[in-house]
Amino acid sequence: MPELELTIRHDDGVLVLDLHGDLDGGATDQMKQAQTTAAEVAPRVLVLNFADLGYMNSTGIALIVGVLAEARRLGSDVRVCGLSDHYRHIFEITRLADFVSFHLDEGEAVDNQHTPAS
Amino acid sequence: MGEETGQEMSDEVERVRRPEGQWASPVESLHVHESVEGADPTTVEGRRISGPLQGFGRLWQKTYRVRLEGAEVTPEQVIAAWKADYGSFWPATSRFCAPFSGVTPGEVALISDRAPGGLRLSTGVLVLYADEVSFTFLCPEGHPFAGMITFSAQHDEDDVTVAQVQAIIRAQDPLVELTMPFYTQRQEDKVWQHVLTALAAHFGGADAQVSTDAVCVDSKRQWQRFGNVRHNAGLYALTRAFRRRRS
Repeated sequence: MPELELTIRHDDGVLVLDLHGDLDGGATDQMKQAQTTAAEVAPRVLVLNFADLGYMNSTGIALIVGVLAEARRLGSDVRVCGLSDHYRHIFEITRLADFVSFHLDEGEAVDNQHTPAS
Repeated sequence: MGEETGQEMSDEVERVRRPEGQWASPVESLHVHESVEGADPTTVEGRRISGPLQGFGRLWQKTYRVRLEGAEVTPEQVIAAWKADYGSFWPATSRFCAPFSGVTPGEVALISDRAPGGLRLSTGVLVLYADEVSFTFLCPEGHPFAGMITFSAQHDEDDVTVAQVQAIIRAQDPLVELTMPFYTQRQEDKVWQHVLTALAAHFGGADAQVSTDAVCVDSKRQWQRFGNVRHNAGLYALTRAFRRRRS
């Protein structure tokens, strides 16, 4: 299975995390790096781009929790894009969906003015 | 055995890439399908999931690990044995009533725990995820913790199989948070240290050492979750005991 490649982009208060590959225990260091970067940048908007996500297991969900907790601490608006229906259901059952808004693609996520209720 | 055909290989790849069966289906609230002696389903039936972001207290990532040194056992064998007889590894003061179909995604298991003062706390968990080398539980409203707990096994750098419990949890409500430093946190540690010690003993490791690592992921308390206290399993048990004495 392809290891996660994480690309971190920051522009004008928007931090975008592009997740390519599989999100599991092997991605711990990259996701910790994402948390550290978010803490440094304190973005207004954090976009999690799952368009190239392969497989995600429950350890991957725990890693997402870490990033979301950091974003909530910073008061960032978290927007998720490119997530398949299956993994969107996982966000719903774990109730992570309560803290993010879902978007079709990055363009929509960045442009969207909707702020989810906390 | 014949060589795998291209179709069989692509079917296998497809199975791995479409892991729907490894996850629970979305549910609005939990339903207990079986009554189990000694466990009260009232505090679980109809409750919603309370994930790591729904609780009140500080968010902790707690990792407990034990190396199964000397045991000729694969991570898959460890998880198979753990799932098959999950409750037997628990301390005598607690009871885990596994659903009839076992640790299977979407199933609800009941937990009965003896608290100070002889109270019996009943709560439960939803099996969120299960594969060959891990499984994960999610806590419902009323459970002392909001969050998820993942049980896994893997080889370490010395090729020794390591069993791990990783909890990403926060106190469900202000009452639990208040007791965290001097009681709840320690009880949590004791349970998982006991479980891993028992698991190691099951595979022949009599004096296995369990390592414990705690990281505070978010030190903020979520005051808007103060109202979670209305579901508190301890308060429920107290009021129930009080009513019984009065009647």
